[in-house]
Amino acid sequence: MLRSPNIKRPERLDDLLEPALMARLGQLDVSSRKIFAGKLRGERRSKKRGQSVEFADHRPYVVGDDLRHIDWNIYGRLDRLFLKLFLEEEDLSLHVVVDCSTSMDAGEPNKFLFCQRLAASLAYIGLVNLNRVALSAIGERIDTPSVEGGAGAEPTSVSSGLVSTLRDLRGRRRLDDISRYLIGLQPIGGTRFTDACKKIALTRRGKGVMIVLSDFMVKEGYETGLRLLVGHGYDLFAIQVLSPQEMEPEKGGIGGDLRLRDMEDGDTAEVTITAPLLKRYKQTLNAYCNRLHEFCVQRDIVHMTVKSDTPIDTLVLDYLRRRGLLK
Amino acid sequence: MTFATPILAGIAAAVAVPALIILYFLKLRRRDLEVSTTLLWKKAIQDLQANAPFQKLRNNILLFLQLLVLAAALLALAQPEYRDTGLTNARHIIVIDNSASMNATDGRVLPPGAPPESTPTTRLDAAKQRALQLVDALKEPGVFDNRGEEAMVIVFNTTAQVLQTFTSSKSDLRNAINGIQPTDAPGYLERAWALADAYTGKKVFQEDVGFVPVGPGATVHLLSDGRLPDAGKVQRGETDAVFFHRVGTPDAANVGITGIRAERAFDNPARLSIFVGLQSTARQPRSVDVELIIDGATTNVRDVVVGAAKPKDAAALEGEDPGEDSGDRWVPGLGGFVFPIDRAEGGIATVRISTREPDALPSDNIGYLVIPPAKRLAVALVSEGNLLVQSAFRGMKLSALDVIKPAQFQQMLDDGRTSQYDVFVLDRFLPQVRVGSVGAGEASAARVPGLPPGRSVVLGAVPPPPLGVVDEGPAEGAVFADFRRDHPALALSALDKVTISKFRRVSVRPDTPVRVLASTDKGPGVLEVSDASVLSIVIPWDPADSDWWLDPGWVLFMAGAVLYLSDSGAGTGGDMVRPGDTLRTRVPIGSRDVRLTTPDNARHNLEPAGDGSVAFGPVLRNGIYTVSWDGPGTAADFVVDGRARRPVAANLADPNESDIGAASRLDLANDRVSARGDEDAALRRKVWPYLLLAALAVIMLEWWVYNRKVAI
Repeated sequence: MLRSPNIKRPERLDDLLEPALMARLGQLDVSSRKIFAGKLRGERRSKKRGQSVEFADHRPYVVGDDLRHIDWNIYGRLDRLFLKLFLEEEDLSLHVVVDCSTSMDAGEPNKFLFCQRLAASLAYIGLVNLNRVALSAIGERIDTPSVEGGAGAEPTSVSSGLVSTLRDLRGRRRLDDISRYLIGLQPIGGTRFTDACKKIALTRRGKGVMIVLSDFMVKEGYETGLRLLVGHGYDLFAIQVLSPQEMEPEKGGIGGDLRLRDMEDGDTAEVTITAPLLKRYKQTLNAYCNRLHEFCVQRDIVHMTVKSDTPIDTLVLDYLRRRGLLK
Repeated sequence: MTFATPILAGIAAAVAVPALIILYFLKLRRRDLEVSTTLLWKKAIQDLQANAPFQKLRNNILLFLQLLVLAAALLALAQPEYRDTGLTNARHIIVIDNSASMNATDGRVLPPGAPPESTPTTRLDAAKQRALQLVDALKEPGVFDNRGEEAMVIVFNTTAQVLQTFTSSKSDLRNAINGIQPTDAPGYLERAWALADAYTGKKVFQEDVGFVPVGPGATVHLLSDGRLPDAGKVQRGETDAVFFHRVGTPDAANVGITGIRAERAFDNPARLSIFVGLQSTARQPRSVDVELIIDGATTNVRDVVVGAAKPKDAAALEGEDPGEDSGDRWVPGLGGFVFPIDRAEGGIATVRISTREPDALPSDNIGYLVIPPAKRLAVALVSEGNLLVQSAFRGMKLSALDVIKPAQFQQMLDDGRTSQYDVFVLDRFLPQVRVGSVGAGEASAARVPGLPPGRSVVLGAVPPPPLGVVDEGPAEGAVFADFRRDHPALALSALDKVTISKFRRVSVRPDTPVRVLASTDKGPGVLEVSDASVLSIVIPWDPADSDWWLDPGWVLFMAGAVLYLSDSGAGTGGDMVRPGDTLRTRVPIGSRDVRLTTPDNARHNLEPAGDGSVAFGPVLRNGIYTVSWDGPGTAADFVVDGRARRPVAANLADPNESDIGAASRLDLANDRVSARGDEDAALRRKVWPYLLLAALAVIMLEWWVYNRKVAI
């Protein structure tokens, strides 16, 4: 809840991903409830027949088919032309969206740092499984980190403004890019969540899994934004990150007569902390989270609320696996 | 409730209240705190306010409590006082008058047009009600102070009685007060005051000063109408406080019987005159119907006008006795008349008066009288022959004058046949009587010369010890130096002219039942011996050895002594007792199953003494009290169903009690106490300590509310 005092920002990859965790994450893969088509032949089974070593079926030859796929053995026996169909293994697009608003720079442990680590972990899992990984930072004002593009099949691109995206990363060697990008993000300004989501929805490519890391404390409302992100071949995960102080303010040492100032827009609220007010705050928070959850469930979005003091390994290795994001 | 310093409190309130409100509404200095979002907080505040319609009030509860504290403090500054019936001393003595005048029905003045069924309250009821208010006002033991106020209850009329000693138990006090019954006895304060004085605290004797009270005094609450003729005899203790709670009104109109008496003509006992004295406190003359009822039948009715009461000064101008100084007193108007009737037989006469105007005290509107039958005494002269004595009785109309020998009398005495004579005259003779320790058998009792049981006149003999008369031998020549002229036997005896040639010197031991009626220069000359069984007038010397018998006073002495000893009033007055006194009479020796029936038909068994005397009392109500017994009665007694009956009339007949105007003040020996009416009965108690305590309590409440509010 409160702005984190003297937060130690990550400076290296090790600050985001500990080696021991990396070793354990390497055994995981991103899971989707669907098999998605991708632009690259990856390690993922696709419904689309294509070029692969795994035979799927035969179909009669028609004019125009690639002659290289004709099964000449069948032609020899049946004297008819059949094409051999193979299951095409495609890559998965993993898109991690990180909320970079100022409200994320709060709590103990810091929510934004938590999101940085979680995003790094998820991106690492995507990279080692040869998925197409994209990272987006949304915020009112995003300073574009300097990332070298051109690696891999398609060059990465970084945009600025409401959304900054690092996309089309593939393979373990792009981990440095990921880490540099994440380290370079700064939680400044507001969210403009809807606009940012709209921009992401318009610019994203392919199909895959999209994970939104945010506290979803959006005064303009999160509904429109999430509605834009859902669909279009993306399996959407909304991970709501809240600090322990937001969930239980009394443990954060809050009390007395206060003028609460919003970190994003400077809005103030004068409160006298009393037991009834705290009770009411918790009820309001629960209602807010429940409403978000219901909204997500109704739209086939997987929603989960995590506290920023949850260990990353527990979250990734346990919670996310149970929720079907990882396998 | 009144305020001692309201202006000071008003100024303080004008300054402090606005200051508090301004201070309260000054902007609260809040601590700035950055949070991730105010979204939820604002919503929570909105929800909280939406769910608490009295949220604003709740927000201002602290202001409300602070205003309350300020109000209590400001009120304390104004020094409020309220009227209370309690007093300063921790010990209260509630003295309630239940004398006859307290039966007056002006305890509660009925408003004009009051419904006829509303019964007027007597002064005693009003006094009891006031006393209960006093009890209610007593401070009870508190949590921090276990010393509650104590009170005691004394009720008085002619006598005084402690109904409840000092206690802080209000229920005991209430029970004692509620148990007080009205009486028709006169009211005298002195005994009640002596009782109260005994309880008002310790007194120590200091040289040259006398008894000095030690420690805190008591508060005496006198609940009375002030009709207390002996109030001037009582003294208020130095440390005591006296409050006179007056009940009744000063101008209560009452016509009452203040005297009733019957007399038979000396020469014609069958002629009876009944005298009735009346008194009125009404401001106008009152026409009164006086009805004479004998044995239940109305015999005569007379219309009598009783004069109006006059102011004391006017009465003094006309030469009437204004009575004691009692403030705004009026002197009652007087009236009276005589019923002459011819009636030889006895009976019970009732005199009832009735007026057309309201009368405040009904109990003095009726008088009772027991008329004994016209009778003559039977006297026995025990002598070997004494002309002097015989001739003395010759002029009296006696029913019998028998001369019997001493031996015969001794035999009659031994046989118990002495009841046929009213009085024995023992001429130089004393019979052998039994003396012995109590409980000793008859056989062991020694027989010595002594006074016989009953009534007797002893001439020329000295009763031996243990009666208390010591024979000191003969003496020559004596003259009377002093004698009691108020004694019925000696009133007309002219002893101052008597010279005794041969005197018998005797002396009287103190603390014996012997009273000296006349003294000579050589010692006691006439004695009266009165103990449980004996009533005797003793002349130790022989009257024949003096010149008394030559004087008519001798005859008058003998007649007076016999009449006095016969206890019958010679058939004129009958037995009468005044409420508040003890009823005493004497039944014949040997009477059995002696009972007394009160006017309300309650029966009491009485145990006669050796001489047949019985006592009951004090009697408290007017009416006829009847003593009855199995056995022969005297000539004055009635015999009904084989039982002798002796009615005794109890009459208030007290001019002071019938003068029922409530006194406006009480003049004690050392103080003058003004009456406190209903409106003035309460005393002022200071409230500010309680207000400060209340303020402290509210501050504690405010602290609790504040902590509860800010606690997480």
